[in-house]
Amino acid sequence: MSDPKIDGLELKPGFKGMADDTGSDQTMFKGVHWGKAMMWIFLLSDTFIFSCFLISYMKGRGSTLVDWPNASEVFGLHVFGVEVPLLLIAIMTFVLITSSGTMALAVKYGYEKNRKMCGWLILATAIGGLIFVGMQAFEWSKLISEGVRPWENPFGAKQFGSFFFMITGFHGTHVSIGVIFLFIYAYKTFAGHYDDRKRGWFTSMKGDYVEIEILGLYWHFVDLVWVFIFAFFYLW
Amino acid sequence: MSDEYENKTGYQAQSSETISSGSGGGSRTASDIDYVRPAEVTDQDLYHGHSFITKWVFCQDAKVIGVQYFLLATFTGVIGLILSWLMRLQLGFPGAAGFMTAEHYYQFVTMHGMIMVVYFLTALFLGGFGNYLIPLMVGARDMVFPYLNMVSFWSFFVAVGVLLASFFVPGGPTGAGWTLYPPQTILEGTPGSGWGILLMCISLILFVAGFTMGGLNYLITVLQARTRGMTLMRMPLTVWGIFTATVLAMLAFPALLVGALMMTLDNVLGTSFFMPTIIQAGEILEYSGGSPILFQHLFWFFGHPEVYIVALPAFGIVSDLISVHSRKNIFGYRMMVWAIVGIGGLSFFVWAHHMYVSGMNPWFGFFFATTTLIIAIPTAMKVYNWIITLWRGNIRLNVVMLWCLGFIVTFVNGGITGIFLGNVSVDVPLSDTYFVVAHFHMVMGIAPLMVIMGAVYHWFPLVAGRFLNETLGKWHFWLTFLGAYSIYFPMHYLGFIGVPRRYFEMYDSPYMTSAVGMNEFISMAAFIVGAAQFILIFNIIKTLKTGKPAGSNPWKANSLEWLTPSVPPEHGNWGDKLPVVHRWPYDFNVPGAKEDFITQTTPPSDVVGTEVEKT
Amino acid sequence: MSETKEKEQSTTHKIGIYLWIWGLLFVLSFFSYMVDWYQFQGMLRWSLILVFMFAKAGLIMAFFMHLYWERYALVNVLLWPMTAIACFIFLMVAEFEYTVFTRLFYFVVGG
Repeated sequence: MSDPKIDGLELKPGFKGMADDTGSDQTMFKGVHWGKAMMWIFLLSDTFIFSCFLISYMKGRGSTLVDWPNASEVFGLHVFGVEVPLLLIAIMTFVLITSSGTMALAVKYGYEKNRKMCGWLILATAIGGLIFVGMQAFEWSKLISEGVRPWENPFGAKQFGSFFFMITGFHGTHVSIGVIFLFIYAYKTFAGHYDDRKRGWFTSMKGDYVEIEILGLYWHFVDLVWVFIFAFFYLW
Repeated sequence: MSDEYENKTGYQAQSSETISSGSGGGSRTASDIDYVRPAEVTDQDLYHGHSFITKWVFCQDAKVIGVQYFLLATFTGVIGLILSWLMRLQLGFPGAAGFMTAEHYYQFVTMHGMIMVVYFLTALFLGGFGNYLIPLMVGARDMVFPYLNMVSFWSFFVAVGVLLASFFVPGGPTGAGWTLYPPQTILEGTPGSGWGILLMCISLILFVAGFTMGGLNYLITVLQARTRGMTLMRMPLTVWGIFTATVLAMLAFPALLVGALMMTLDNVLGTSFFMPTIIQAGEILEYSGGSPILFQHLFWFFGHPEVYIVALPAFGIVSDLISVHSRKNIFGYRMMVWAIVGIGGLSFFVWAHHMYVSGMNPWFGFFFATTTLIIAIPTAMKVYNWIITLWRGNIRLNVVMLWCLGFIVTFVNGGITGIFLGNVSVDVPLSDTYFVVAHFHMVMGIAPLMVIMGAVYHWFPLVAGRFLNETLGKWHFWLTFLGAYSIYFPMHYLGFIGVPRRYFEMYDSPYMTSAVGMNEFISMAAFIVGAAQFILIFNIIKTLKTGKPAGSNPWKANSLEWLTPSVPPEHGNWGDKLPVVHRWPYDFNVPGAKEDFITQTTPPSDVVGTEVEKT
Repeated sequence: MSETKEKEQSTTHKIGIYLWIWGLLFVLSFFSYMVDWYQFQGMLRWSLILVFMFAKAGLIMAFFMHLYWERYALVNVLLWPMTAIACFIFLMVAEFEYTVFTRLFYFVVGG
């Protein structure tokens, strides 16, 4: 968040500050909570996972000699007699960005120790995530009913089905895990675990509102990945 | 001393500074020059286990977890060793082991490779030494997330369990070679193409998941939980090596995870990520359109950093051992750090030099040969620095130092053959021969192993409070060193005459007639070297109770792990007060000092009048 | 876990900035949807897709994930490793082109 204040050390901005931070003792990321630093490094690692998936997808799609199906048609929906391309995906994007926004606000209210507001916003985020997963399940079942399988695809290249189910499945798993944690954190917020600094169930670490930000980082990351999947899978 | 955070760039940092009391220092008092900025974060509160289960089994103390990792990794390593014996038995004396079929041989090759690289060396260096040494060396109470750390070990435990379970499933473990190249990995006719490869992939995924948890711990502990006064440039090189290797692991293992996952899907669901159209036994399989080269790219995008995941901790540890046992500061500390970081960064841009003969885009050879040869520069810098550190040092020629010297020789040897293999035109004829086997065993098998042995002899007094037996240690060293050379040196020659690797038997091929005696010799040496490793196990068991008590700081080292209030260190490491660090860990034989070492916690006011380097 | 001693001093940002970014994300998503709606093709389609993608990703990272307010030490640690990914992407583009070439050469043309 904003620049922390640290005893006996003047924090400079920009690259000068980076050099100072890196050269100083104790911490490199000044004022960054351990858990938050961990989440960032984890997300970096996770970015490499999704990058590898998308690079494999690029390699697979690029080198196939069989025609790749037109995503715009395959993912189109037939509503009120009109064929609307990518309608479901557009709504899913809308839902996920909405939930990302509520999460950002939840983090803000968490830091302001506004327990009620924070809790409701986390709950709204969780419900947004749930809707997203539900719509993804709908999309999967639609494709499956049309005959697309991981191992075959009536519209063209086999790899379309394989990559689609694998990548959206992996992303969906991330969303589902996020939803579970959002519900847990919503409960913990409402129950006041962060105000009372109650110890965690497993880790026995004291609760703190920074945990909301850590969860928020994860959730925004899920949204971020969706941005890339949306661009490369549905628009390409 | 607070000004020391500024004004330390460039050449000035290497110049020595004399703090003279009274005359030069003016009005500076002891408390002034000893000043270190107060702590930024509150002291870590730890979970203390009370029952046997929470104290020794599901333990959250990084030191116990480190020992657990060490023991389990050693256990799998011994299995890998036995597999190598079986392989050498077949190669040296074909048919001597009656049960050995070609399928068994391939399975043993595969499991030996995978166990040694991933489940033994990686787990031992990062899980074992990393867990034990990082918190102690940076002055932390424990890893920053002890619970996650515990889960990390138990994931590793399950991963090893799944891996070993594949020996007992129908078809046995996979026999596709440790690189697991598709399409043959999951085609019938390759041993373990059904269950074996499935369990291998699951085990790898579990290992990666567990390792990610551990790796996050190591990184955040180094970055965010150092003690007062401990800057990054005051960390022992051991920590730098393990730290950089962990960064590599965090960024390289994802590629392995993705590869293993896609392979599993190809195997179980029949997707065609890696599988092209294949005709097997006159029948066209369901697969079509996949790209086997893609797996190779994913695998080596992981695989090459993996080489440095094993090598960098070894570089770091050996630097510390050489410095301590030659009583000299490490030559060019900053250069060493930047070399480690540079090697780590470059290792992500060299992966396809493992694929020169794979049929990838032919232009890649140029790019990857160039980047590969660039890596030789920081590596060579490190070798020079080790040698210059030894030069005119006050060398203690004990077992630890012997292992270090053995490492340098072996590493140079393996590194030079790496230059052969890094050049495309030289690699093409040598590829898939015993030259390659000799190269990578020298450079990432024997060399890091020598460091592990040295490190065991060095830090055993810390972990157990007793010295290991020196005489047994010398036997262990000389048998291993001479034996390892007897194994791998002739293998270069085998490679030159064209003996291919991964062949079950040479039959009556022209290579075999000239190679038969050499193969027998190599096998004999391999049996002896393997057996020699049990000397260490015997030594550990024997000295655990009866060894010479070490007391605190027996090697007269400077780094923090030797300065704990109790030996071996207890949970929480430092008693009531965290240590405060005033200097780097390499102040040996400083002119004017009372003793030949100045520990990291010695305040400047204690060493007034000496020429300590300003670090 | 560690707590910074000065937790109380960490100020939060005004709600306006979040709402602005939120709105921008919707607009950008709408634009990228329109790319498909109007069926732009070729380089125009690709550049539009990438521009909107990176704009959205940048906004999410900078403001929702607070990277804009983080110190450069953290930002640089997170962004530099992406060069390895960039290298991987460029090389794989070259690789799939070569794979297509070999497939056309051997399977279609016939060697």
